[in-house]
Amino acid sequence: MPGLGTSFGRGGATVWVPDLENADCILIEGSNFAEAHPVAFRFVMKAKERGATIIHVDPRFTRTSALADIYAPIRSGTDIAFLGGIVNYVISHEKIFREYVVAYTNASFIVSDAYRDTEDLDGLFSGYDGASRTYDTASWAFERDGQGVIATDPTLTHPRSVYQILKRHFARYTPEMVERTCGTPQAQFLQIAETLAHNSGRERTTAFAYAVGWTQHTAGVQFIRTAAIVQTLLGNMGRPGGGIMALRGHANIQGATDVPTLYDLLPGYLPMPSALRNEQTLAEYLKLNAKPTGWWAHTPKYMISLLKAFYGEHATPENDYGYAYLPQLIGDHSMLPTTFAMKDGVVKGSFVIGQNPGASGQNAELVRSAMERLDWLVNIDSYDNETVSFWRREGVDPSTIATEVFFLPAATVLEKEGTMVQTSRLLQWHDKAVEPAGDSKSDAWYFNWFMLRMKALYANSTDPKDLPILHTAWNYEHDDPHERVKGEPSVLKVLQEINGYTVADGAQVAGFSDLKDDGSTASGCWIYSGVCPDKATNRARNRDASGPYTAPNWGFAWPANRRTLYNRASAAPDGTPWSERKKYVWWDATRGEWTGIDVPDFPKTKAPSTPANKHATGMDFHGGADPFIMNLDGVAQLFVPSGLKDAPIPAHYEPLQSVVENPIYTQQSNPVLREYVRKDNAYNKPVDADYPYVLTTYRITEMSGIMTRYVPWLAELQPEAFAEIDPELAVSKGIKSGDYVVISTALGEMEARALVSGRMRPLRVNGKRVHQIGIPYNYGSQVAFARGDSVGDLIAIALDPNVSIHESKTLTCAIRKGRLLRRRPASFAQDEM
Amino acid sequence: MANGFFTDTTLCIGCKACEVACKQWNELPSDGFVFTGESYDNTSELSGTTWRHVAFVEQMAIDHQGELQDRWLMSSDVCKHCTNAGCHEACPTGAIIRNEFGAVFIQPDVCNGCGYCVVSCPFGVVDLIEKFDPDGTHYNLASLATSRLDARATAVQQSGGVAGKCTLCYDRQRLGFVPACAKACPTESIQFGDLDELRERAHARVERLSERGVSAQLYGADDVGGGIGALNAFFLLTDRPETYNLPAQPVLPSTRQPAGYTAAAVAALGLALAGWMIFRNA
Amino acid sequence: MPDLSECRERDDVPTYYERPLLKAPHWEWNVVTYLFLGGIMGGLGLIQLIAHPERPQERRLKRTVRITSFILAAGNPAILITHLGRPERFLNMLRIVKIKSPMSLGVWGLVLYSGAAGANVVRELAIDGVLPRWMRLLAPGFLAPLQALLGAFTAGYTGVLLSATANPFWGSGKRHIPAASVCSGLASASALASLLSTFEGNHAVVHKLERLEMVAGAAELLILNDFKRAAGAYGAPFFKGKRGERLLTYTVVAGTLAPLALNLIGQAVKLPKPIDAVRTTLASALTLVGGYVLRESLIEAGKESARDPRAAFRQPR
Ligand SMILES: Nc1nc2c(c(=O)[nH]1)N[C@H]1C(S)=C(S)[C@@H](COP(=O)(O)OP(=O)(O)OC[C@H]3O[C@@H](n4cnc5c(=O)[nH]c(N)nc54)[C@H](O)[C@@H]3O)O[C@H]1N2
Ligand SMILES: Nc1nc2c(c(=O)[nH]1)N[C@H]1C(S)=C(S)[C@@H](COP(=O)(O)OP(=O)(O)OC[C@H]3O[C@@H](n4cnc5c(=O)[nH]c(N)nc54)[C@H](O)[C@@H]3O)O[C@H]1N2
Ligand code: SF4
Ligand code: SF4
Ligand code: SF4
Ligand code: SF4
Ligand code: SF4
Ligand SMILES: [Mo]
Repeated sequence: MPGLGTSFGRGGATVWVPDLENADCILIEGSNFAEAHPVAFRFVMKAKERGATIIHVDPRFTRTSALADIYAPIRSGTDIAFLGGIVNYVISHEKIFREYVVAYTNASFIVSDAYRDTEDLDGLFSGYDGASRTYDTASWAFERDGQGVIATDPTLTHPRSVYQILKRHFARYTPEMVERTCGTPQAQFLQIAETLAHNSGRERTTAFAYAVGWTQHTAGVQFIRTAAIVQTLLGNMGRPGGGIMALRGHANIQGATDVPTLYDLLPGYLPMPSALRNEQTLAEYLKLNAKPTGWWAHTPKYMISLLKAFYGEHATPENDYGYAYLPQLIGDHSMLPTTFAMKDGVVKGSFVIGQNPGASGQNAELVRSAMERLDWLVNIDSYDNETVSFWRREGVDPSTIATEVFFLPAATVLEKEGTMVQTSRLLQWHDKAVEPAGDSKSDAWYFNWFMLRMKALYANSTDPKDLPILHTAWNYEHDDPHERVKGEPSVLKVLQEINGYTVADGAQVAGFSDLKDDGSTASGCWIYSGVCPDKATNRARNRDASGPYTAPNWGFAWPANRRTLYNRASAAPDGTPWSERKKYVWWDATRGEWTGIDVPDFPKTKAPSTPANKHATGMDFHGGADPFIMNLDGVAQLFVPSGLKDAPIPAHYEPLQSVVENPIYTQQSNPVLREYVRKDNAYNKPVDADYPYVLTTYRITEMSGIMTRYVPWLAELQPEAFAEIDPELAVSKGIKSGDYVVISTALGEMEARALVSGRMRPLRVNGKRVHQIGIPYNYGSQVAFARGDSVGDLIAIALDPNVSIHESKTLTCAIRKGRLLRRRPASFAQDEM
Repeated sequence: MANGFFTDTTLCIGCKACEVACKQWNELPSDGFVFTGESYDNTSELSGTTWRHVAFVEQMAIDHQGELQDRWLMSSDVCKHCTNAGCHEACPTGAIIRNEFGAVFIQPDVCNGCGYCVVSCPFGVVDLIEKFDPDGTHYNLASLATSRLDARATAVQQSGGVAGKCTLCYDRQRLGFVPACAKACPTESIQFGDLDELRERAHARVERLSERGVSAQLYGADDVGGGIGALNAFFLLTDRPETYNLPAQPVLPSTRQPAGYTAAAVAALGLALAGWMIFRNA
Repeated sequence: MPDLSECRERDDVPTYYERPLLKAPHWEWNVVTYLFLGGIMGGLGLIQLIAHPERPQERRLKRTVRITSFILAAGNPAILITHLGRPERFLNMLRIVKIKSPMSLGVWGLVLYSGAAGANVVRELAIDGVLPRWMRLLAPGFLAPLQALLGAFTAGYTGVLLSATANPFWGSGKRHIPAASVCSGLASASALASLLSTFEGNHAVVHKLERLEMVAGAAELLILNDFKRAAGAYGAPFFKGKRGERLLTYTVVAGTLAPLALNLIGQAVKLPKPIDAVRTTLASALTLVGGYVLRESLIEAGKESARDPRAAFRQPR
C-alpha cells in the first residue's frame, strides 16, 4: 500500500474500525462498505446515529448508498478527478486546516526547479522516458542547501513550494471539470466538498474509507494518494474520527501483508533483497534500506533480528547472519507476471494455496491454460475448484495435459488455531472449534511437513546452495501430545518467535524497542513485537473490552498495541489537544510525557518543544512536533519526491480501456502502467466503438470470494451470476430483468442474468451518454449451488506500475440479450490452433 | 413478561445475515435456487423453511433530477407472534401454543399438517413444509446427517407436511441466548428483548427520526386493529406497510366466528322449521 | 360492506413485486370431499329427526338416513387422513377441545355426531330385531334431536371453517358461506335421501324430501346471490371468470335450478313410477354435483384470493 506508505510512513489503515463512530462525517468511496464489510459497518451506523453525515461515492447505488445521507454517482476509474476537485475546492476556498498543514506536512518544502508538472507537459511529469515507459524521478526532489537541508517556506507562498504546486496542479479540477470527467452532477459534488470542509478543522473530523474500488486500477496508488492529500489538507490524519480506513479484504489479508505473502517484502515491511539493486551483502542492504532519518533508521535491528529468527545459531556476524541465504529478486515475481511466465514455459511448478485464480484471477482462462504448461501443480484447498480442476474444464481434452496435479485438503478456519490480523491491524487469536474433517490438515501442518521433509532429504548434502534449507531454524513442535501425534506444529511457538526473544536465554522481548542489531535478539516480524511479551502471555487472546473505548485489552494492534497511527497529530504542535471534543493523545507537561487514551505514536518523553536537529540522524532529526515518525522528514508528504513510479502528485488518467478520451490531458492513461500485449491477453482499444459500455466488478454480501457458492443457504440468496444494467440501456437492448445476457470484451464472453435496476444510472461524460454495467466476481463455472461464469474471463491483465495490481474495476464491454453457446474464449481457441 | 422483536428498518443494511443465521441455527434447508430479477431478493417470501425474509424495495427517482430522494428500502420480516394470533386460535391439535416467553410456538411433534394455521395467519407467515430433501440439491451438510434435521425431514416425508415458522428461538431463549437472527444482525436493525422496553425505545426512535426530517411509523407496536392487538414482533417503517408486503388492515379471523355460527344457526333453524312443516302433513 | 375500492381503484397501491402476501390453502380434493360429505351428513341428521316415527315409510326413511349418516360419519375421518398423511395424525385433533378453532370443534362435532348416529343405528337395528331388543336402551330418545343438532352444526361449521380465516374471499362471506353451507348440505342430504328411498322403493317419502330439497336449494341460491353483492371485489375469484362460469353452470343452473324444475314437475304432475324414479335420480344427482362444485369452487377461489396481494392488504372485517 505505497499510497498510504509514501504519504504517511506505513502502508496500513491509519485508524481502527470502531473509531469511525467518532467521526462527524465519513466519506466512503472506492468501497461498498455495507456489503463487503457488514460487521464493521455497524460503526458507520453508530456514527450516523450520533449525527455524522455519511457520504457514498460509487458507480452503483448500493446497499451502502441506501444507508448514506448523500450518494453521488461517479464514472468508474475517475476518482482522481473527483478528489482532485475536492483538493481544488479546499485550497481555492481557503478551507484547509492551515495550522496543521504548515506544521505537519511538507506543504512548505521547495521543489527542485528541474521539476515540471503535468500542467506544463500535458499529462506527463518531468523525467519521463517514452522508450522504457518509466520516470527518472530525480527532478521531483526537494531543493536542498549546501548541507543537504531542505529549503522551506512556511508562508506557503513560494511558487515552487509544494503548496503552490498543488494549487496550480489542481486548479483545473473545477466542479465543471469534475462533472465532465466523472459524470457526477456539480451540485452533488459541491455538496460533498462543502460537507467535508465543514466537518474538518479543530473541532470536527472526517474519516475516509476505501477498499479495492480504489486499488484495482492502473492508477490505483494515485487514487489513494489523492485521498491522502485531501485528508492531510483538512487536517484529519492521526485524529479520532479521522484518518483513512483502508478496509482490507480476506479475514487475514492485513496479516498477509505484514508477514507477507508478497514477493518483494520480508516480514515487517523490510524490502526483499534484489539482485537488481546493490544489495549483495548485508552491509550494502542496510546502507540502502536503513533510512538515515526517522524511524527506519532502526532497520538494522529489525533485519538482523529477523535473520536470527530465520537461521538461529547459523546466523552469525561472520556469515552476515545468513543474509546470503535469502533469495534475491530478479524482476517482478508477482502473481500475474508469473502466470505469463508459466504460460510461456518459464515457470515449471506452482503451489496454489487458499486461492482460486482459475476463477478469481484476471484473465482467468490465461491462468487455467498456463497450468497446462506446468510440470506439476500443488493445490491446498478445502474445495475442488476451477484452478485445481483446470484439466477437466469445458472444451479441453485431459489426455493432452501432462501436468501432474496434487490436490491436498485444507482444514478450514474453524478446524485450526492461529491468529488473524484484521483491518484495524488487530491480531486476534482463534482456537480450534472442531477437528479437521477427513484427511484435511491445517496449512501450518503442510508447511511444517514440507520443511521437515526437505531437511531430511538434504540432510547429507554438502552443497553450499542447500545451506538455506539445512540452516533454517525450525522447531515448532507442539506441546500438546495429541497435536504432536498428528504432526500439527505449534502456531503459538511461531507467534512467540515473531514477537522475538533474547538469544542468550530465550526469554521473550517486551517489544521492538528491545531488539538489537548485534545478533543478541531474534524476531520474526518486528511490528508484531509485544504480542507475546512473555511465554505465558498471548495478547492476541485478550478479550476484555473494558477501559477506554480504545479497548487496549482486546487483541493486540501493531505497532505496540496502538489503535490510531500518527496520533501525535491529534494534538497541536504545542502538545495540547486541538480541541476538547477531539482530545486523544497529548503532552502531559507535569509528568513530562505523552499521554492519552491510546498508546502515543511518538517517543514517549520527547517534548513538543524539542527542536528538530537537521544535522542529526535517526529520530533526533525530527522535532517534537513532527508526528509522522516513519517518514524521513517527520511530516506527511503531500508531494512524494521518491518511492512512486508514476507521479509525485496525482493526475487524472483514464483507465486503459475507457469509453471516453481523457477530458483533462492529452495523455490518455497512466504513462507507466504495465500492459501485456499478446494474443492471449487481448485488450479492447482505448476508446473502442465495439465495446461502448463501462464494466465494473465487485463482490456481493451474499457470497464470500468464490468459495461460498457451495453453501446452499448462501446460494439461494444469490443463485446466479448477474449483470446490473440501467433501465435506459436495458430498454434499448430489449432486456428485461431476469433475462439472460451475454457480456463480451475482446478477451472473452460470459453469460449472466440481467438485473435491471434504477440503481444503475446513465451518466453524462464530456457530452456523451455513458452506461455502466456491474458484474459481481463471485461466480465460476465449477458445479455448485450458485452457478455462473467468471467475470475474470473478460478482463485482460493491465497493471498498476507500483504494486502490480490489476485493473479489474474498470474496463469496457458490449452486451446483448441471449445465451452463450461456446464456452471457451475465442482468443484462446485461436492461440492453441 | 414477554419478549419480542423491534425491527427498525432504517438500520437494515440488507445483509441477510438474519436469514442465514436463522436457517443455520434451525437447520432449515434452502428453498431452491431461483434468480428472480427482483432487486436483491431471491427468496421472495417467508415460507415453512424460511423464517426470516429480507425484502428489498427500490424506489429510484426516474430522472434522478427531482426532489424525490432515491431510496432502497430493506426490511427483515418475521412471524409477528401476535397478541391474538390467528394461527394459534385456529390450530385444532394444540400444536401451536403460547410459550413462557410470550411467543407463538409450534410443537412439530403435535402438528398434524392439517394446514389450518396456514390460512388463518393474517400476515401470510406460517406455511406447511411439504417437501424436505436432505440428500438432494437443497441440502448438502453431510456432517449434520444425524442431527434433528433428519428427524424433521423424516417426519415431513412420511406424513405429508408439518407447519413451520419462527420459533422466536425458543431453544436459544431457554439457554438464555438471544435469537440467532438478532444476534447476527450487525447494525441492531433487529432488536430483541422485553416488549415494554422495546416499545418505549421504538416510540423514542420515531421521534428522533422525525427531528431529523425522516418520517417513520411503527407497525404493530400498538394495536394493529382487526382484533389482533399489538404484535410481539413489530416494525419501524418509512413507507406504507403494503410497500413491505405487510397488510394495512389485517383482521383476526376468529372475529368472524360469531357472525358465521349465527348465520349457520339461522339457516339451520329455518330449514328445520320448513322441513318439520313439510313432514308434518301426511 | 367490504370495500376494496381504496386499493383497487388507485393504481398507486404498492405491492411487493405483485407477490402474494398470504399463503394459499394446501387443500385439494380430499378436503373438498370432506366438506361436502360433512354437509350431507349434517343434513341427514336433520332429516332423521323430522321424519315421522309413526308412519312406516318415514320410519324406513329414518332408518336409511341414520345408517347412511353413520357410514358417512365413520368414513369422513378416513378422507381427512388422506390429507393428513398418517392415521395417528387424526388423533392429534382429539388432544384438545378448542372453542376458538372451527376445525377443532368440527372434528369433535363429527366424533360426537358419529357417536349419536351410531347409537341411533343400534336403536334402529334393535327395533328391527336385527340386534337384541334390549339394545334399544343404548340409544335413549334424546339422541335423535342431539344428532340433528350436531348435524346442523356439522353442516354449518364447514362454512365457518372457511370464512373465519385470513383468506380475503372466504372472510368476505362470513355469514353467507356458513348459511350457504347449511342449505347446500341439506339440499344434498335430501337429494341423497330421495335417491336412496327411490332405490329402496320407498316412494312415499320422496316428494317430501324433494320439497325440502327445493326449499334448501332456493335458500342457497338467494344466499349466493346476496353473497355476490356483499363480497364485491373480494368475490371476484369465486363469482367471476372461469370459476364463476363453472359455479353458474354446475351449482346454480345444473345443481340447483335444474333439480328445482325437475322437482317442481314431480310435485305438479303425477308421472308413471319408473319415469318418476328417473326424474328423481337425475334431480338428486344434479343437486349432489352442484353441492360438490360449490365446495370445490370455494376452495379454489380461496387459493386465488390468497394470491391477490391487494385483497390481502385490506382484509374484510
Ligand atoms: N460478502 C463479502 N465480503 C467481502 C468479500 C467477499 O467476497 N464477499 N471479499 C473481501 C475482499 S477479498 C475484499 S478485497 C473486500 C473488498 O471490499 P470493497 O472494495 O468494498 O468491495 P468491492 O465490491 O470489490 O468494490 C467496492 C465498490 O467499488 C465500486 N467501484 C468500482 N469502480 C470504482 C471506481 O472507480 N471508483 C469508486 N469510487 N468506486 C468504484 C464498486 O461499484 C463497488 O461498489 O471485501 C471483502 N469482503
Ligand atoms: N473481477 C474481479 N476479480 C477479483 C476481484 C474483483 O473485485 N473483481 N477481487 C480480487 C480480490 S480483492 C481478491 S482478495 C481475490 C480473491 O480471490 P481468491 O482468494 O482466489 O478467492 P476465494 O474464493 O476467496 O478463494 C479462497 C480459496 O481458499 C480456500 N480456503 C478457504 N479457507 C482455507 C484455508 O484455511 N486453507 C486453505 N489452504 N484454503 C482455504 C477456499 O476454498 C477458496 O478456494 O479476487 C480478486 N479477483
Ligand atoms: S465475514 Fe467476518 S470479516 Fe467479513 S464482515 Fe463478517 S465477521 Fe467481518
Ligand atoms: S404472524 Fe401469523 S403465524 Fe405469526 S403468530 Fe401471528 S398469526 Fe401466527
Ligand atoms: S398444520 Fe399443524 S400447527 Fe397448523 S393448524 Fe394444523 S396442526 Fe396446528
Ligand atoms: S427468532 Fe430464531 S427462529 Fe425466529 S426468525 Fe429469528 S432465528 Fe429464526
Ligand atoms: S441482519 Fe440485520 S441488517 Fe442484515 S438484513 Fe437482517 S435485519 Fe437487515
Ligand atoms: Mo481482496
